[in-house]
Amino acid sequence: MGQGIRTKGTVVAAVVAALWLMPAPAAQLGAAPEDMPTPRTADGKPDLTGLWSGGGGGNLEADAEGNITVLSRGRPCHPGQECAPAVNFERDSGVRQRMDPNLPIYKPEYWEQVQFLDVNGNLQDPHGKCYPDGLPRIGAPNKIVQTDTELIFLYANKNTFRVIPIDGREHHPVRSQDLTYYGDSVGTWEGDTMVIDSVGFTDWSWLEWPGYLHSNNMRVVERITREGNTFTWQATVYDDYLAEPWVMNPVRRTLNPDQTELLTEDLPCEDRDLANMHTRERG
Amino acid sequence: MKALKVLGAAAIVAMVMAVGFVSAPPVAAHHAIQAEYDMNEIGSFTGKLTRFAMINPHVRWLFEETKPDGTVEEWEMSGAGPGALRQAGLVRIFKVGDVYDVTFAPAFNGANLGRVRQMTFPDGRVVTLFHEDPTSEEAQQLNQ
Repeated sequence: MGQGIRTKGTVVAAVVAALWLMPAPAAQLGAAPEDMPTPRTADGKPDLTGLWSGGGGGNLEADAEGNITVLSRGRPCHPGQECAPAVNFERDSGVRQRMDPNLPIYKPEYWEQVQFLDVNGNLQDPHGKCYPDGLPRIGAPNKIVQTDTELIFLYANKNTFRVIPIDGREHHPVRSQDLTYYGDSVGTWEGDTMVIDSVGFTDWSWLEWPGYLHSNNMRVVERITREGNTFTWQATVYDDYLAEPWVMNPVRRTLNPDQTELLTEDLPCEDRDLANMHTRERG
Repeated sequence: MKALKVLGAAAIVAMVMAVGFVSAPPVAAHHAIQAEYDMNEIGSFTGKLTRFAMINPHVRWLFEETKPDGTVEEWEMSGAGPGALRQAGLVRIFKVGDVYDVTFAPAFNGANLGRVRQMTFPDGRVVTLFHEDPTSEEAQQLNQ
């Protein structure tokens, strides 16, 4: 072996990364809210500004021979179980998502379409085609910049940004009729909770995997409440296809302790897999 | 391609998943890896790197393998998301024009396509970018 780099201990990083990929229970996310007071702007409103979650890195080191070994850990297989590397992650996450009792309830006339998208998800999922995830699938923002009149949301996902007026204006008459992935948004304060109302969506995005479609008349209401060094983001979906509004599971984000950390560029998405799918198995 | 041969799962080491944090979108994988690749098989070739593409959702290495009869066969290797390699500082270690010995999990459809397992550099360094063997003793300890 030549000179260079070999890394052990990356299992830890992989496990951390796996946790990052999954919605974590609130109890796992950082310090308690009372660890710091909620910062407020001059007008007394909570200040949502900050880099939320993220940070850290691989911290890889090579071994004496220069070799690098990066391990991705999934669920171990029981002795005797027929198993191969990397067969567990998507299956486990799929089971976990299907077991969530909080699912959108569709009107009967859309059941067949949802099931079709589910069983053909590998080919139908707009995420797999490199389309924007859209709202609400993209989830909570990774960075927020708050001014007196605007919220700017930045996402570590396809370099996505949203500019959300909070100056009391109504929806824009033209943009609210547009067909976009993130809609036309306006925000207002309800006490210490920022409420963001968005309309003007395309129907090309999914609410979530597997196959939760929506119409282009969808309305999404996000609620963000900051308490100390955490915020809770929760979206409610109102749509003609749904039998009732879908109140999605809340997501908690913790303030990155290193606010000098940067939200870096996300690289382009280019699908080269869909033409080579052997099965439709996703999870 | 030298051969497609079945090796025991114990021979497999491990891999990158998403060591990316800030730069890695917090999205679950969009399809099962076994929906595209046969994780029980190991293929191999020796080829010249012609392109290293840092793209989502999976980075790609393109190679040209020159066969004994002079014909050239093209190979495409897939890896984890680019965030993993970026955070690990591994982006610039792959040099277009260098010749690598490559092992991979082959695509089921028979295309010259695979999920990379290991690349041996011209200077002998070995970079393993794969998944841990879930039947290994180390993995089983997680069940304890």
